[in-house]
Amino acid sequence: MKFEVAQLHGAYMLREMAVSAIRTSKLSKDYGAGRGLFDLDLDVIPQEVFGYLGPNGAGKTTTIRLLMGMIKPSAGGAYVFGLDCNRDYVEVKRRVGYLPGDMPQFGSLRGKEVVAYLGGMRGGVDPKSVHGIAERFDLDLNRRFREYSSGNKRKLGILLAFMHKPDLLILDEPTNGLDPLNQQEFYELLREARDGGASVFLSSHVLSEVEHVCDTVGILRDGKLVRVARLDDLRAAGETSLEEIFLSYYSDTDREQKALPE
Amino acid sequence: MTAIRFGLRLGRWGPLGFSFLTFASSLIQAVGFYQIAGHTAASRAAFAQSMSQLAAQLTFILPPPAGLSTVGGYVEWRAFGGLAILFGVWALVSGSGATRGDEERGLVEAVLASGVTRSRWLASRVIGYAAMALIAALAGGLGLVAGVAVGGESINLGPVVEICVALAALGLSCYSLTVLIAQVVGARVATAAAGVVLLALFLVNRLSQTFTWLAAWRWISPFHYYELNQPLAPGGAFDARATLTMLGIATVGAAVAAVAFEWRDLGAPLVRWPSRRSPAGYEASRSPLWRIPVVRGLYERRAGLATWAVALAALAVLFVYLTKTVLQPLLSIPTLSQFFGAHAGGQLFTTFLGYIWLTFAQLLFAAFAITQVARWSAEDSDGRLEVILSTPRSRASVVVERAVALTLGALLVATASGLAVGLAAHNQAVDINRERLAEGTLLLVPFALVFAAAGAVLAAWNPRAAVGLLGGLAFASYLLDELGPLFKWPTWVQDLSAFKLFGTPLSSGVDRGGLAIMIVIILVGFGASILLMERRDVGA
Repeated sequence: MKFEVAQLHGAYMLREMAVSAIRTSKLSKDYGAGRGLFDLDLDVIPQEVFGYLGPNGAGKTTTIRLLMGMIKPSAGGAYVFGLDCNRDYVEVKRRVGYLPGDMPQFGSLRGKEVVAYLGGMRGGVDPKSVHGIAERFDLDLNRRFREYSSGNKRKLGILLAFMHKPDLLILDEPTNGLDPLNQQEFYELLREARDGGASVFLSSHVLSEVEHVCDTVGILRDGKLVRVARLDDLRAAGETSLEEIFLSYYSDTDREQKALPE
Repeated sequence: MTAIRFGLRLGRWGPLGFSFLTFASSLIQAVGFYQIAGHTAASRAAFAQSMSQLAAQLTFILPPPAGLSTVGGYVEWRAFGGLAILFGVWALVSGSGATRGDEERGLVEAVLASGVTRSRWLASRVIGYAAMALIAALAGGLGLVAGVAVGGESINLGPVVEICVALAALGLSCYSLTVLIAQVVGARVATAAAGVVLLALFLVNRLSQTFTWLAAWRWISPFHYYELNQPLAPGGAFDARATLTMLGIATVGAAVAAVAFEWRDLGAPLVRWPSRRSPAGYEASRSPLWRIPVVRGLYERRAGLATWAVALAALAVLFVYLTKTVLQPLLSIPTLSQFFGAHAGGQLFTTFLGYIWLTFAQLLFAAFAITQVARWSAEDSDGRLEVILSTPRSRASVVVERAVALTLGALLVATASGLAVGLAAHNQAVDINRERLAEGTLLLVPFALVFAAAGAVLAAWNPRAAVGLLGGLAFASYLLDELGPLFKWPTWVQDLSAFKLFGTPLSSGVDRGGLAIMIVIILVGFGASILLMERRDVGA
């Protein structure tokens, strides 16, 4: 009997291993006038830290919102651990920790009330986990949200994303507004989450950050994924730096236009 | 000039919306006058007689009328009297939004960083509002002129412009007072504090008609100076001194506000209480209330709900006293006593209280529903809904939780006001039908939910436009109830108004048909809201 259970558990584990943390198939969101996301095919394997790169307006946040089921795709599909992000969005969110690009306004609520409010909605949040993350970022949860600096608001967002120890972290520019010390603390937290079995999908503008923490990078340009590569493979192949690879996808004209003041 | 243009650009929807409201209000009342009062001297005299009886019951909200047999006198009382309240509310919302709301959003910081001085920025907002208020007031004048033209008559434009100038001056004085109060108190309570002050100034003036001891304090109220202007009524005149006094209040208020703005830190109030420094904490709140669906929503807005409950209970007590004070002199006239006795069927006080209090309470409960819908819209636009939906919750459950929380909130406020009425009536030793009072009070809950259901649909469809559209819907619903019987519109048209569906529960019991229609509207509204929420993009 015990052997059967172990076999079943093993089969389950194997199936879990086989299922991608994130998979998208021809995922599109068309806002018209050439804006949006087009035919995205993406595969993030379990326990991988995937860095999602692209300039402003390339479609990073649109991808993240599609994965979170906040917006509906124009075509294609997105799946998290095999669950349809659009149809099974409640189940998806049980397994996901999410940090939006902009923290919402919680006005006069105290940090501890925001955590209790959203933790209460989610359920199953370990108070020790909350305490641990708040303490290592020195985030005073007794203060009101409106009194927080932008960095402290970001720390609260990180706490809300990590507090329930999710299987997948979807983070939109997570270190925006964090000082270098807290950035290092965040990278450490990210490594611990990955070592604990979590997968991470993070968008960023900071190429050095992506190089530092990610296993795989995807480069997005005008709503289309133009390159996916494992950083180890790039290094082994002796390719130039990530910055050079990133910039190579933008023509000289693009770069000149971005460099010139309007 | 750039700052003024920028200020006007920021508040461009206000004058458009209020211009429409003032135009519609005066046009409808002017057209209504010709429809009801007719064109003969005798019919107009009879109309004036019946309206003066109505005016006696509305002294708590409208100024005493003059020249009701003329279109000018009637519109001055019915339309421009009511518009004073509307302009006060507009000034309150606009003033606190321009001062502390824009500061919270970081807009003021950005403007000041561009080199504009604080005084200049504040002056530009006040001047911008003055221009907007004048435009909206003149739209009211235009509505009157158009209504008179429809009636086949003409009206002298001078007095029309004069009443519009007085109305704009009233709005401006309320705006400056709001801006001043918003400098002194914290951003969280700025609107509430200014609202309490403006309501107190309004009530001091209005209630001084009933409670003579208040007459000595009338001079502090800008509403008093507005009412001194009666240019449209025969024999009345534009009071230049009173209008200048209102403009003086506006100027002094703005000047003191500018000084206070220079003194205080951006984002902080002028008066700061020393806060107790508590040690840093790393724990989530241990209150179990945050874990219980619906209860957490009520707990989060506990301060707002308590304010609503206390304010409505206080107003309810005031209206009980007011009803008794208004009713007693009328009953001392034998013919009126017989008349009222025949019509009210032995429940005189209950009937009168139903008319005076529940009419007012309906407006407040509609406002309560609109404030809750405004909160839903804000949750959507500031990203809070996105974070809530990042937890394992369905969109339908969010809508249902909102609806249940609003129901319980409305029930709490209604119960507080109902108990206050009952206790005040008992204290005053007046006879009141308790069963009907309980039914009428509880009926306020589905009444509020009708607006909330409409608001839920609008918030799911277009959250940014929801509050404006719902406000327009509430106004249209009120006008429908007011004008339907006057113009003898079909019953089914009148039934489109939530105010009509509410009926007169204190005098004639709960209208079961109206209640059933309200319940259907609530269920259909929230059901449609769920469907729309499931289909729409959030945070896009």
